[in-house]
Amino acid sequence: MTVTVSPIALFNVEQGISVDAELWDAITEKQLADWEAEWNMELLLALQRLNRAGVERKHWPQSRHWNWRKKTECLQKMLAYPCFSIMCDGMTQGMMIVDTPSKRCRIECQKGKNLVYIEYIENAPWNRKELLFDPPRYRGIGSILIFAAIMLSKEEGFKGRIGLHSLPQANNFYANSCGMTDLGSDPNYQGLHYFEMTEQQAVAFITKGGQL
Amino acid sequence: MKIEITKEWCLRMAHLEGDAEIGAGVLAFDPILHEDALPVADTLDESGIVFGRFVQLMRRNRGLTIEKLAEDSDVEIAELLEIEDDAHHKPQNRTVYQLANYFKVPHRNLLQVAGLTAPRDSRILEEGVRFAARLEPVAELSPEERAALEAFVAVIGSE
Repeated sequence: MTVTVSPIALFNVEQGISVDAELWDAITEKQLADWEAEWNMELLLALQRLNRAGVERKHWPQSRHWNWRKKTECLQKMLAYPCFSIMCDGMTQGMMIVDTPSKRCRIECQKGKNLVYIEYIENAPWNRKELLFDPPRYRGIGSILIFAAIMLSKEEGFKGRIGLHSLPQANNFYANSCGMTDLGSDPNYQGLHYFEMTEQQAVAFITKGGQL
Repeated sequence: MKIEITKEWCLRMAHLEGDAEIGAGVLAFDPILHEDALPVADTLDESGIVFGRFVQLMRRNRGLTIEKLAEDSDVEIAELLEIEDDAHHKPQNRTVYQLANYFKVPHRNLLQVAGLTAPRDSRILEEGVRFAARLEPVAELSPEERAALEAFVAVIGSE
């Protein structure tokens, strides 16, 4: 597998400094190993902290049953799709899997057109404040992965159009930070809200960070 | 695919992103749901509430941590956490058997309380709902809770 690495930067929250990082256009065995050995363990410990802190279960990450095997199998099956990951300090900090051929736009002004659909995007547990990592280790993972999805969309000729189904606690990020359009709850995706970005919204998102 | 992205852009967007959560896609659930898991908006199961409260109070009444109860009853810690904290959770038959053995209550009745068998004695579920409704999830077992617990144990303990 050929992996192209692009230099990026993340913000180290505790030290208040920027750190060099890498954007990979792949998820390899290394990222899967990090996910299985490091992310899962940290997530379990985080749930233990939430429990011991008296946080009600309804406020925990959306968990009902623990089935790592099934999630691993799903992830592995999806590696045929375009993937991205962010590496820093030799560790996977975020992952994204996208689907380019099969999904179409839903917003009226671009209905039926191709887009890059984000099947899966996730931050490493230690970058998530809701898991009581205080402070979280790195910031910026979400924005960089969305940037990568927009760039892929442009390369595919989709002009920056992207779509995704957001977890409930991330709706604010996609609506406000990314400026995507919220098309509401989708009963076919466990009630998750579907968000879509138009060409103009993609330009606005990139401009927000000062780059065109 | 090479992606040109400046350090300034990364840092500016990191600042705007802050500590926002970013998970998207069904796979990003922590972890993925079973196909048979109930959706969040589904109806709250009375038996789940009653069984969860029952297990929690029986445990606290014995001064046990979840870890200790898991060890002594040979039940997974994760399953006990689900039972006590998630009213939607459907326990496994084996778990209910193990807990019935440990708490010394009839299997059949506890399976009813857990919603795993059709109610044969409607009194058990009615009493269970009343029992759960009288409790507050406070750290220590109050005399009222203990009395409620003992009364309910007497009901489900009757063959």
